[in-house]
Amino acid sequence: MAELSLADVRKAYGRVQALDGVNLIVRSGALVAVLGPSGSGKTTLLRCIAGFEALDAGEIRVDGHRVATRGAAVPPERRRIAVVPQEGALFPHLSVLGNVAYGLDRAARRAGRVAAVLDLVGLAGFQDRMPYHLSGGQQQRVAVARALAPRPPVVLLDEPFNALDAALRAEVRRDVWQALRADRATAVLVTHDQAEALSMADEVAVMRDGRIVQSGPPELLYASPADPWVAGFVGEAVWLPAAIDGDLARTPLGAVRLTPGDGSLPSGPTRVLLRPEQIALAPPGAPGTVSATVARRDFYGHDAVLALRLGDGTPVAARIFDPAAVPPAVGDQVGLRVHGTGRVFPRSADPGPTRPPASA
Amino acid sequence: MRRFLPRPTLAAAATFSVGIALIPLAYLGVRVGEAGWARITDELITARTGALVVRSVALAAVVTAACTVLGVVLAFLVTRTDVPARRLFGVLAALPLAVPSYVAAFVWVSTVDGFEGFWAAALVLTLVSYPYVYLPVTAALTGVDPAQEEVSRSLGRGPWRTAGGVTLRQVRPAVAAGALLVALYVLSDFGAVSIVRVDVLTRAVFTSINLGFDRTGALVLATVLVALTAVVLLAEQLTRRRGARYARVGGGAPRPPTRLRLGALRWPAALAFTGVIATALGVPAASLLRRSLEGVSRPGSIAELATAARNSLGVALLGTALTVLLALPVGLLTTRVPGRLAVALDRLTYLSHALPGLVIGLSLVFFGINVAYPLYQSVWLLALAYAALFLPLAVAAVGSAVAQAPPGLEEVARSLGRRRSYVLRTVTVPLAAPGIGAGAALVFLTCMKELPATLLLRPTRLDTLATELWTQTSVAAYAAAAPYAALLVLIAALPTWWLSARTGVPTRGGG
Amino acid sequence: MGTPWTRFVPASALSALLALGATACGSDESGQSGPESDKKITVYSGRSESLVKPVLDEFREASGITVDVRYGDTAAMAAQLQEEGDRSPADVFLAQDAGALGSMAKKDLFAKLPDAVLDKVPGAYRDDDGEWVGVTGRVRTMVYNADQVPGADLPKSVFELTEPQWKGKVGIAPTNGSFQAFITAMRVQEGEEKTKKFLEGLKANDAQIREGNAPIVADVNNGRIAAGLVNHYYVYELAKEEGTTVDALKAKNHFFPDGDIGSLVNVSGVGVLKRADDDPDVRAFVDHLLGKQAQTYFADETYEYPLVAGVASAPGLPKLSSLNAPDIDLDDLDDLEATVKMIKDSGLA
Repeated sequence: MAELSLADVRKAYGRVQALDGVNLIVRSGALVAVLGPSGSGKTTLLRCIAGFEALDAGEIRVDGHRVATRGAAVPPERRRIAVVPQEGALFPHLSVLGNVAYGLDRAARRAGRVAAVLDLVGLAGFQDRMPYHLSGGQQQRVAVARALAPRPPVVLLDEPFNALDAALRAEVRRDVWQALRADRATAVLVTHDQAEALSMADEVAVMRDGRIVQSGPPELLYASPADPWVAGFVGEAVWLPAAIDGDLARTPLGAVRLTPGDGSLPSGPTRVLLRPEQIALAPPGAPGTVSATVARRDFYGHDAVLALRLGDGTPVAARIFDPAAVPPAVGDQVGLRVHGTGRVFPRSADPGPTRPPASA
Repeated sequence: MRRFLPRPTLAAAATFSVGIALIPLAYLGVRVGEAGWARITDELITARTGALVVRSVALAAVVTAACTVLGVVLAFLVTRTDVPARRLFGVLAALPLAVPSYVAAFVWVSTVDGFEGFWAAALVLTLVSYPYVYLPVTAALTGVDPAQEEVSRSLGRGPWRTAGGVTLRQVRPAVAAGALLVALYVLSDFGAVSIVRVDVLTRAVFTSINLGFDRTGALVLATVLVALTAVVLLAEQLTRRRGARYARVGGGAPRPPTRLRLGALRWPAALAFTGVIATALGVPAASLLRRSLEGVSRPGSIAELATAARNSLGVALLGTALTVLLALPVGLLTTRVPGRLAVALDRLTYLSHALPGLVIGLSLVFFGINVAYPLYQSVWLLALAYAALFLPLAVAAVGSAVAQAPPGLEEVARSLGRRRSYVLRTVTVPLAAPGIGAGAALVFLTCMKELPATLLLRPTRLDTLATELWTQTSVAAYAAAAPYAALLVLIAALPTWWLSARTGVPTRGGG
Repeated sequence: MGTPWTRFVPASALSALLALGATACGSDESGQSGPESDKKITVYSGRSESLVKPVLDEFREASGITVDVRYGDTAAMAAQLQEEGDRSPADVFLAQDAGALGSMAKKDLFAKLPDAVLDKVPGAYRDDDGEWVGVTGRVRTMVYNADQVPGADLPKSVFELTEPQWKGKVGIAPTNGSFQAFITAMRVQEGEEKTKKFLEGLKANDAQIREGNAPIVADVNNGRIAAGLVNHYYVYELAKEEGTTVDALKAKNHFFPDGDIGSLVNVSGVGVLKRADDDPDVRAFVDHLLGKQAQTYFADETYEYPLVAGVASAPGLPKLSSLNAPDIDLDDLDDLEATVKMIKDSGLA
């Protein structure tokens, strides 16, 4: 358990500025997710913290002790920062026991730490298996157990659940979260999966082009993104052109109340951010609704998202939680109603992605 | 905190290793420097030297081209077609590597009337050195991801066009690495060219020493070989496309590759294969057998034969161990800390690789007398000579073996609090062991065959199979020589067999 | 348990006694021959093990001196010795030919031999400055295939070999030391111009180049080439390998008559390195090489000419005195250099 702090960390590969002044503080015992599209520099950030890369500028401290700065670094083996790499990276020539015990001294091995930590990740009794006899999820659990075994104050996880299928992912994620909590390790999770970041982390730091553009609790990030890009990256966004009228925004979906405490309003043309779950369906022509046509229907099982088109052609999206009950088909007319408040942004700015961008 | 330098210990160790490989060049520098400019220009700027260079380059070019074609075609037949008896062929095709060039040349000269000159040398050298191409290409072809070939087929390319356009493109680095070794081997070879009498630079170096005992003239000529090596290295560098790395992308269990149906060509292909193996292996085997039956000179007792074999094994093993040990830091540096220093050190190990064994031997005499006198005429100095001669073989193997052990594993190990040396010992080396072992096997069989440096540097009264072979043939006792030659080839064939076995041909897939 | 012990004790006591006796004898002997004797010498031999080993064994038995021998190629060994310089472990260099010995003497690596040693050998077969001495003589000869060359066609002089009837039929080994010595002698005796013509004539006559003498004799014997210029004893080596007598071979020696330069006498010889200048063991070794026993061995077993008086050459060989002993220095390196240049210029090497 230790506090991790990064100040103005910079790192370039040739002319590519991978880290462009990163500032981040991870409270002792917290789990912070670094969320960003691929190429945003998040893996570089993790490698700098672990000590695999040297910094060009800035510094990294663990519990106030400087471990890296320009031109000088504590080697990785003396940082006590454990890493869980993508796809596990188990030592293929060592058994589960050998892998987990790799970083342990003899006393810890004799004290039964291997069994304890395997138990923690739900793999009690797997000690003698070889990595190639394990499933992907099991390999990932062993990798976590290996990282936790020496009780490192800080654990770094590099997209550890990527290779797992959806059903397994949730289960492994939960077990890992519990294991981290049990050990009260400070953890940094690097991921490009916003659901993973929002669901696991105490705090999320969104990264883009080598910088952290916003960090905070998941709810705050989702509800109050700092800019349209973050808004689009942490969740699905509905953008409506808006004219501001006091604390109301006049939009093609009618009047939307603005989120209070937003500070000064932008001058010039504006637009309003809504989330699809704020838009509810009603029978066509119901009072207080705006009618729209269903353009596409994405069914997810637990919910579904409808892509809709308003009469003036504005695209919107609505999340419906009981798709079996109301099954509108493509081409159907429906009525739409808005719940909650919307955040206002200038219209001229980068429209922001409605999906995570392919690359940065 | 520690200053962050790119692995200073490793760089220092690699530099030390390359220093060993550069002893011959330092020696050449000293001796040629003593000769003075007038002498150097007298020796070098002559029509004869020009002709020698042209002939050496031509021989190297012809043999390299022939080995490339032969090596790639045989490797392709064995790994990617339904040629009959492919597993047997797969093993046999590598075995000519075990035949020393002087034995092969001698056998051919005594079997075929008027076997001499340029094309004779080209034939013999091709037959003994094509496995340098065959082995890495076979391994590479076995490792190529069949998915890419399947994609090519699905995009409408026929099997043969896919083979040429996708499969063979992917093994280009393996072909280039093998061709480089062949080219340098041909430049450095003396045994074959002297026996079939083709006047190339190495022969001129020996002739200089024999004619008038002119060491200086010989060494001046040897510098030309170093210059040619530099040119060959440059050429090889240019053929590598920048940054071209052909690794299998993504995970998934490797699948056995698809095989082309040769159809009506199946038996002609088998016949051609048999022809190559009969000329490369059958002719030496038959001739050695005939020699030992015909002559009356007899080798010493079985005990003498056994002693020579034991000595050969001993010095070759020691030389291999030292060579691999010295190659480790260089190979690690090239794969783990790629950059200008790594490239420079890697290339430098090759620079003395085209020098004939006699020059390497003399340079180690010089080194032993002036620097390491306590080691002089001990097996240690001989091992050092083997290291100077064969370091590139081991460096290449270590490099590709270490590339098999992903750097991510080392990083994880270090983040678990383990020092670099511990990680090297417990993760990198165990994972790279099979590949390093292959390099060791190659170095070992090459050490077994080495003669001129062994003669100069061996401890007094230590006879190896190669020196006994030389002793007997120098007094025309060919029947007595034959068992030594046969035993030498047999022992060298064991690691060769293992090398070809690990390329995966004989063990995997139905044949 | 008791049995091995009781057997072992007397046996080891006995061997200890024997060892003591041997040591005592050894120190006695060294007391006589000088304080520096360590009963051990190191020999570099450019001559083959199979030819030299019996002589070394005899010496070891007779003197009790241990002989460490390195075998190698004469020229490579000369280069090695020159590289080793003062720190060479070698005491003695046994060389195939005079040229190698001369190159050593020129680099000032040999000690002067005592006159008593030098005087055993005729003046033509030793160094003028006394730094090396010949041990055995070998004669240049023309080996010919008796089926292909009728006796009547045998040349009277080596110069006839440049004539058209010999085109493509004569094997030579131009990189061999004995061939060079032969050409050097020719230059001295017959003049530069005539020698140059001879070499060019060989080249123009399509002389068959071989790496050494043995392959020439082998090719003559099996009829691949009709004749060749070699040393006389190679037919004996071939006969030994084929398990027959020289008379049964197709290959025959032809000695050029009337002191023709084609039957030059060359030598193998020995030099003592400076460090062993006054080592009594080395003296003893050189004396042994020039002693009756060793000379007889060389005459009878390797078919070379003994160089000391009182030992007869093998039956069937012409008398040494009937052949052309060169009146030049076999080792004169300045001459050798010119020879090498001439051979290279002719295009033969």
